[in-house]
Amino acid sequence: MEDIDEGPSIVVETGSVDLQGGGDDDTQSAVPSEALAAVEELKEELDQITVEPPKVDLIPIIQVDENLPSSYKENNNKEKLVLQYAENFRRQYVHLYRDRKPLLLCPLNECGVEKFVCTTIRPTLLRYNELYDYDGCAEFVSDYVTFDPLVPPIELPKTMVSPTKVLKTQRGNCFEISTLLCSLLLGTGYDAYVVCGYATRETTLCDEAREICPLLKMKNEIKKEEQKKEVKKYSVKPPKDLRSKFILKQEAREVEAQRKEEEKRRKEEELRQEELEKPPQDELFGLRVHSWVLVLAGKREVPENFFIEPLTGNAFPTGNDSFLGIESLWNNNNYWVNMQDCSNGCKDLIFDLGDCTRWEYMFPNNEKPVLEIPELEMDGLDLEDDEDDEKEEEKNLDMPTSWVDALELSLTDFQSRCPQGKKTLLYKRAKLEKFAHYLLRDGMVTRLSIYHDRELKDLIQVKEWFSHRKDMLDLRVHNHRTGIVTEYYKEGRQRHLKEHLYKAGSPAAETDRTMIFFHHARVDGLVKREETPLEMTEHFLERDDFLFYRHVQYGKRQRRLEPASTLPSSNPRPILKIVDRFHRNPAKPASEDVAELVFLISEDRIQLTFHHQDDKITASTRDFLKPANASDKGAILMYSADMTSTFQVDPHQKSAKDLYIYNLLVSLVDQEDKTVASVRESEEEVREILNDRMAEESRSDLEISVYDTERNEKAKQHRVERELLQMEEKKRREEMELDYLAPFLAQIGDPERLMRQQALKLKEDCRADLKQRLIDEANLIQARFEKETAELQKKQNWYQQNQVNMHKDDEEEYLAFCSEAMFRIHILEIRLNRHKENAPHKYMALEQRLRTDPRLSEHF
Amino acid sequence: MSRLYDTVEPAVIDEDMLQKAVEEQGPKDEAGRIAKQEGIDFTDVTQLRLDFKNILKIDNLWQFKNLVKLQMDNNIIERIEGLDTLKNLVWLDLSFNNIEVIDGLDSLTKLEDLTLYNNRISTLENMDKLTRLHVFSIGNNNLGSLDNLVYLRKFKNLQTLNLGGNPFCEDENYKPFAVAHVPTLVYLDFRLIDQNTRAAAEEQYRYAIEELVADETALENKRIDQEEKDKEFSRQKDAYVENLNGPHLFDSMFLDDPEAPKLGALPGVDELLVVFKEKMVGICKQVFDHGLAEHAKRQREVEEFYACVQEAKIENKDMGITKIQDFNKYKKKAFADFAMMSDPQMLEDKVDEFNQEVTKLWDTLMGYELQLVDQLEDTIKDFERAMADMVVVFVEQVQGLISQIRDLENVHHERILEIAIITLEKYVKNELDDEIPEELRLLLVDKDTITNAVSASHDTHMLKIDNREDDIIQRANGWLAALMERIHQEEEVTRNRDRVKEINNFIDHLREELDNLDLQTGM
Repeated sequence: MEDIDEGPSIVVETGSVDLQGGGDDDTQSAVPSEALAAVEELKEELDQITVEPPKVDLIPIIQVDENLPSSYKENNNKEKLVLQYAENFRRQYVHLYRDRKPLLLCPLNECGVEKFVCTTIRPTLLRYNELYDYDGCAEFVSDYVTFDPLVPPIELPKTMVSPTKVLKTQRGNCFEISTLLCSLLLGTGYDAYVVCGYATRETTLCDEAREICPLLKMKNEIKKEEQKKEVKKYSVKPPKDLRSKFILKQEAREVEAQRKEEEKRRKEEELRQEELEKPPQDELFGLRVHSWVLVLAGKREVPENFFIEPLTGNAFPTGNDSFLGIESLWNNNNYWVNMQDCSNGCKDLIFDLGDCTRWEYMFPNNEKPVLEIPELEMDGLDLEDDEDDEKEEEKNLDMPTSWVDALELSLTDFQSRCPQGKKTLLYKRAKLEKFAHYLLRDGMVTRLSIYHDRELKDLIQVKEWFSHRKDMLDLRVHNHRTGIVTEYYKEGRQRHLKEHLYKAGSPAAETDRTMIFFHHARVDGLVKREETPLEMTEHFLERDDFLFYRHVQYGKRQRRLEPASTLPSSNPRPILKIVDRFHRNPAKPASEDVAELVFLISEDRIQLTFHHQDDKITASTRDFLKPANASDKGAILMYSADMTSTFQVDPHQKSAKDLYIYNLLVSLVDQEDKTVASVRESEEEVREILNDRMAEESRSDLEISVYDTERNEKAKQHRVERELLQMEEKKRREEMELDYLAPFLAQIGDPERLMRQQALKLKEDCRADLKQRLIDEANLIQARFEKETAELQKKQNWYQQNQVNMHKDDEEEYLAFCSEAMFRIHILEIRLNRHKENAPHKYMALEQRLRTDPRLSEHF
Repeated sequence: MSRLYDTVEPAVIDEDMLQKAVEEQGPKDEAGRIAKQEGIDFTDVTQLRLDFKNILKIDNLWQFKNLVKLQMDNNIIERIEGLDTLKNLVWLDLSFNNIEVIDGLDSLTKLEDLTLYNNRISTLENMDKLTRLHVFSIGNNNLGSLDNLVYLRKFKNLQTLNLGGNPFCEDENYKPFAVAHVPTLVYLDFRLIDQNTRAAAEEQYRYAIEELVADETALENKRIDQEEKDKEFSRQKDAYVENLNGPHLFDSMFLDDPEAPKLGALPGVDELLVVFKEKMVGICKQVFDHGLAEHAKRQREVEEFYACVQEAKIENKDMGITKIQDFNKYKKKAFADFAMMSDPQMLEDKVDEFNQEVTKLWDTLMGYELQLVDQLEDTIKDFERAMADMVVVFVEQVQGLISQIRDLENVHHERILEIAIITLEKYVKNELDDEIPEELRLLLVDKDTITNAVSASHDTHMLKIDNREDDIIQRANGWLAALMERIHQEEEVTRNRDRVKEINNFIDHLREELDNLDLQTGM
C-alpha cells in the first residue's frame, strides 16, 4: 500500500474493478475474439461505472445548531418579501440578459435557509484598535480565517454561512471572508462593498508564490534623494580641464557601450528568469469566480477607490491585473449589477454607483446620487425605464436588518490571530511564518526566510522578529551566506545596546563584532564599537571632551605559564597603540587644540597633531618621548628638551615655553593611563554584554504587561484568589438556607440512602408537618384576633357604663384606644385571609419540592 | 591695614617684589626647576598674592595681562588704581586696606568676586561695569545709609553679599531691607536666606520695591527704544538716506535761509509752502525707500560673494589637507624604510626618491594655490563689476529723484518771484490791504532788491539739495572703493602670501626632518 497514495475511496474503486477484471483474465487467454468482445463489453460496462465523486454538497449536511437564534433558522415577513423581490429581479435579469451568468442573490445559510446576501452583512465595530483601519482589518481577516477554495472554481457557491460562523470556525470561502471583512469595514465607517466577479487563478487560490514578499518590498521603496549642489552667482569656476576632449569622448563612448552591453545582458537574464517563473497557462482564465472587497473613496478620508483581496489582506488599485471582471457588488444597503464591459479587466470600470447605465441597482432607495440622463440617450434604456417605474411603485420597500448576530471576538482569539496561532505564507523566494504573541517561548512573532532559488532550498537569510522580550530583542537577521548574525534591540537595555553584529560561529569575546549603541542614553556617548581579534574601534558622539574616535591595536597575547582557566581579564592583550581623535574645541586656539592623539605604547612615544587653523592646510604636530620613569607611580617626571620635537605652522610664532611643554607632557602621561584604563573597561563591558546575552538567550523571558490579566501570573493569581473567595462566600450563603428535610432525616438517623418506605414516610411526615404548621399559624392568628375583639368588647362595656361621669381626657383616650384596636383587628383579619389564601400554595410548593428532591425522587 | 603709627616705611611694588612673589607662588618640583631655568613671564601668571607687604599704591601690574586672581589684602592701599590692564581679572581681594572710595574698576568687566572688607568706604558707586559680579564683600566699612543697597539691584548675578560691621547694620530694618532690595541674593552675611525671611522682607517693602521696579522697567524700556532707534538710524545711515523719511531736508533748506522768513510773509506764500513741502517730502520718501531697498540688495550681494569665496577656499583647503595627509602617510612609511635599510646605495636612492616626492608635493600645493588665485580673481572681478553697476544704478536713480526736487524748487522759486513782483507793484501802488512786517517792507524797495532776496533764498535751497546729493553719491562710491580695496587686500594679497609662506615652511620642515634623520643614520 505504500506506493498508492490515493485516498481510501479510490482503493474501494480499484477493488471493484479487480473483481470484474479477475473474471476476465481467463477468457482473455483462451478465446481471444470472445475475449475481445467481452473486453469491449467490459469496457463499456466499465465506462458506465463512472466514479461519482461525492458531489460537492449542493446542500451541505446541515447540522442545525439548536443554539442559533431564530433569525438564522427562518425568514421573517420582511425578509420573505425581499426574497420574493430578489427572485423577481433575478427573473427579469435572466430574461433581459440571457447570455450573462446568474447572480448570487440568495444562497443558503448554515441552517439551510435562503438569505439575501445584503442581509448577511452585519456592520460591526470591534473593540480592538488594530482593527480600526482597513489594512489592519484586512490583515486580521486574512490571518484569522483559513480559506477554502470554491469547488468547482467557476461556479457560484450555493451556500454562504454567516460571518459569525466564519469567525467561530475560522474557515470560509472567498465570499464568506469578503462578507466578514466588509462587515468590519462598514463598521469602522468605510464605504465598502462585497464584489462578486472573476479573478486569476493565483488570486482565487491565494497563491502568492510569484509575488515578492511585502516585507521585502518595503525596503526597496526607500529612495535616495540626491542633493544637487546649487550654483550660486559668485561660485568660483571649476579649474580648467586640460585633458583632450576627444579622448574623453572616446572613453565615454566605450564606457557607454559597456554599460549598454551589461544592461542588455541583465535584461535578457531578467526576461529569462521571468519566463521561467511564469505560471502555467490557465484554461479557466477569466472564468474563475472570486469575491473581494471594494472600498470607495470619500469616507474615512480614502482618496481613491481600491480593492482589498480578503485572502491575502493586500490592497490593490482598481486597475490591478489580477481582477478580471465584476458581475455584481453589494453591501448592507443595496445590490448593484455591473452593466459595463469587463473585457479589459477592471481597468476601465467606473465606480459611480449612482449611474444606472453602468450599475443596475436593485432597490430604488439608492442613496447614491442618481445621474440625470438626458432624454436623447434613452433609446436602449426603455426597458430599464419600465423597471424603474415598477420600482417606483414599491418605493416603500427597504432593506431588512441583518439576520446575523453581532460579531464577537474574544481577546484571546484576537491575539492568537491565526488558527492555532501559526501561519505560513509562501512568496517568491521567501517563506513567511507568523506566530501569535506569547505562543513561542522565545517570543518570536514573525520569521522571514529568504532563499536564492524558487524551490526554497538555498537559504540566504533568515529574519526573525520578536516581541515582548525582556531583553528588548526586536529583530535578528542571520545571513547564512556570510554567517553573520545581526541583532537589533529596542531602547531600554542595560548598557543601551542597539545593534549587535557578530559571526554566528564565534560568539566569544575578542572576535569580529560590531556593536551599535543608543548614544543618547550613554554617559560616554558611545555610538559604535567595532572589534577584530587584534583591533578595536570606538566611535563617539556629542562628548564634552570632543573625542569622537578611538582606535586600539593589540598585540598577541603573551603566553604565560598559568592554568588555562584564569579569566581573560587577568591576562589582557597587550595594547600596542591607541589613536584618539577629537573634534575642534572652539574655546581653544587651533594650535593648542589636539586633533589626533596617538599613544605608541609599545614605543613609549606620544604623538600629537593639532587642528588646522582657519585657512591653513598644514597642522602643527608635536612628538614626545616618554620620560624613562613615566611608568613609576608617584615619581616626578624628568624632562629634557630633546624629549620633544615639533612642527609649527606659523614660523613666526614664539615657540612654547618649556614649562608649558612639561605640563603638557605630564598631563599626557596621565591621560595615557586613563585611556588605557578606559580601553580595558570597554573590553570588560563587551565581555559583560556577551555574558548577559548568553544568560538572556538561555532564559528568553517575556515581558508581560500588568494590564494583561490573562498572562500576567501575579494578576491572574490575584483574580483567581478573588474568585475563590467569592465561591466560598456563595457556598456559605447556600448553606445558610435551611434544609427542610434535615429534621426528619435526623429523626431516622441520617441514613446514607433512603429506603422507599422511609422515603414515603418522610414525605408524609413532611407534608403533615407543614400542614400542621399552617393550621397552627392560622389558629394563632385567630386566637390573637379573638383576644383583641374581647378586649375591645370589654373596653366598650366599660365606656358605656362610665360614659356619664367621664373626663374629657379619658374619653379621648378611649377613642384613641378604640381606633387602634380596630386597626389591629383589621390587620389580623387581613392576615388571616391571606394566610388562608397562601397556605394551599405553600403546601403545593412543598409537594413539588419533595417530588423533585434528589434524595426522594428516585422512589417516586 | 590701618595702623595708629606709621612706623614702617610703605613699600613700593617693584620688579624685585613681583619676581619674588611670582617665584614663590609659581610651580614646584621639576616644573619649578624648569620655570626657574627659563624664567617666568609676568604675562603668563594667572594668580598673584601681594599681602602683608605694606603697599601704599597699586602700581606696576600692567604686565600681568592674564591675571585671574589678585590678592592685595592687608596693605595700606588708599586708592583703587593701576588695574586697568588686568582685563581678565575674576577675583580681586582688597580687604584690610585704607580705601575710601570705590573707583578704578571700570575695565574689570569679568570680575565676579570682589572683596573690599574692612576699608573706609562710605558709598557704593562706580561699579556699573561689573555686570558679572557674583560675590561682593563690603563688611566693616563706613556705609551709613541703607539706600546704598539699592545700587546693588543692577547686578543680576549677585548671590552672596557681606555687609556686617557697617554703621547701617545698627538699623533693625537692615536685614529685611537688604533682602528685599537685592532680589537675586542667596547668602547674606554668610547665611542662607530662608523663605520666611524673604517673604516677610518682600511684604515689608512691597510698595517701595514696586515703585523701584516700575522705574527700572521704564528706564529699561527707554534704553531698548533708544537702542532700536540708534540701530535703525545707523542702518539708514549705511544706506546713505538717513533723515530722508521726513521733512528734514526741507526744514534744513529753510533753516539756513535768512530770507525765508521775510519772504514767507508775502501774501499767498504760506499756501505755496505747504504744497511744496508735501511734494518734496513725498519725493524724499521715495529716495529713502529706494535707498533702503538698494542697501539691502547690496548687502545680500556682498554676503553671497563672501559665502561663495568661503566655499571655494574651504574646497581648496580640503584638497590641500588630503594631499598633505597622503604625503604624511608616505613619509611615515619612507622613514620606517630608511631605518631598516643598511645598504648606503639603496638608502641614497630612497632619499632621492623622497626628495622628489617632496618637490612634487610642493608643486601640487602651489598648483592648488595658483588655481585658487585664478578662481578668486575671476570671481572678484565679476563681483566688482556687479557692485559697480549696482552703485551706478542707485546713484542715477537718486540723481533722478533729486532733480525732481530741484524742479520743484525751481517752480517754487518762480512762483515766489512772481508773487514778490506783484506784491511790489501793489505795494508801490499802495494797494496792499494787509499789514506787512517791517522786514519785508525793507525788501519791497525796488525790483532788484526783492529779486535778489528771492534769488538768494533760491540759491541757498539749491545748495542744500546739491550738498545732499553729493553726500549720497560720495558715500556710496567711497564705500564701494573701500570694500573692493579690502577684498583685494584680504582675499588676494594677504591670503596668497600666507598660503605660500605656509607651504614653504612645511616643505622646509620636511627637508629639515630628512636632514636630521640622515644625520642620525649617517652616524
